[in-house]
Amino acid sequence: MAASMTSVWGVRVLSKIIHGHLLPAAAVRHQTVRSRFLHTAPVSSSAVSVSEEPDVLYQRLSVRVKGHDKAVLDSYEFFATLAAQELGLNLQKAFEAPKHIDKLTLLKSVHIFKKHRVQYEMRTHYRCIQLSRVTGSSARVYLEYIERNLPEGVAMEVTKTAVEKIPEHIQKPLWDDGKQETPSQ
Amino acid sequence: MCKNMATSLVRQTKLLSIVTSQFNSAACFRNIHCTAACLKNRAARIRVGKGDKSVTYEQAYHPHDIGHRKGWLSQHTSNLQGEDEAAERVVEDVFIRRFMYGTFHNCLADEVVIKRRGNLLVICAMMIQKLLPSKFYFLIGYSEELLSHFYKCPVKIEMQTVEEKVVYKYL
Repeated sequence: MAASMTSVWGVRVLSKIIHGHLLPAAAVRHQTVRSRFLHTAPVSSSAVSVSEEPDVLYQRLSVRVKGHDKAVLDSYEFFATLAAQELGLNLQKAFEAPKHIDKLTLLKSVHIFKKHRVQYEMRTHYRCIQLSRVTGSSARVYLEYIERNLPEGVAMEVTKTAVEKIPEHIQKPLWDDGKQETPSQ
Repeated sequence: MCKNMATSLVRQTKLLSIVTSQFNSAACFRNIHCTAACLKNRAARIRVGKGDKSVTYEQAYHPHDIGHRKGWLSQHTSNLQGEDEAAERVVEDVFIRRFMYGTFHNCLADEVVIKRRGNLLVICAMMIQKLLPSKFYFLIGYSEELLSHFYKCPVKIEMQTVEEKVVYKYL
């Protein structure tokens, strides 16, 4: 499971973990997960691994799907929200971002006829599903399930915001130590 | 004025094509192309005629109906905002369509639908029951094998057969 997961997620993992206490959740840009994972054989059942490291905690897991067909995105949103409810994850928001239209105006004919043009457009619809307070292992399971069932013609971007303990060297502010620092001359 | 010019050009090409077809039979294979090649108001449209031409659902509706009354024939993510490699997908699609048209000679009932799920390339085709099922299976295996070697990705062909071409209306 772990090996197939690394091949699925790719090598470019930019994991900048931000302190949940000090700053509001700034985006942790995970790799743009496109629907291009390898078509692997069915996963073996001995996939549960127990490790002593504490699991990564995510404050927010944001899944943004984009596609040309709104009906496909509607059904995918229903599927993803149902999966989240069945797995017991907290569904914070499931909303529709405004669509983006790319327009091109071209000449209708190959030679002359400048006054006659033809217009083409490409519409990209978006859907955003936000889950809050997810553990790392549940996030991995949910995302793998969601990704394997992505319909064709739909792309997905995942943004994870992780929570970490404040490191020791900045746990206490410097002025609280009570040390008198002599000014250097 | 432009419309008149276009229609007169069209009539000239029709005359020229009749003349050249007579020449073609006498081992002269040169054609003359006179119309504006990229007439975008005539692309992918079958013009209304006498009522004897049978037309499928896909052919009956025009390109501006895509997304409203028609679906997409080729489904991939490269035309979305922020995605790339659209041109490569188009070239692959054109090759796949010509390949399918040539391998299953006169058997295609409708346009081939190409879907991309991750690495997997799914080709969905509707065929007329012209050949024996064993021949169909052989051709499916042959095309899957060849295309997967060309494109270095798993290729699946999903085929459905129909007795005759499904006619939507007559134009």
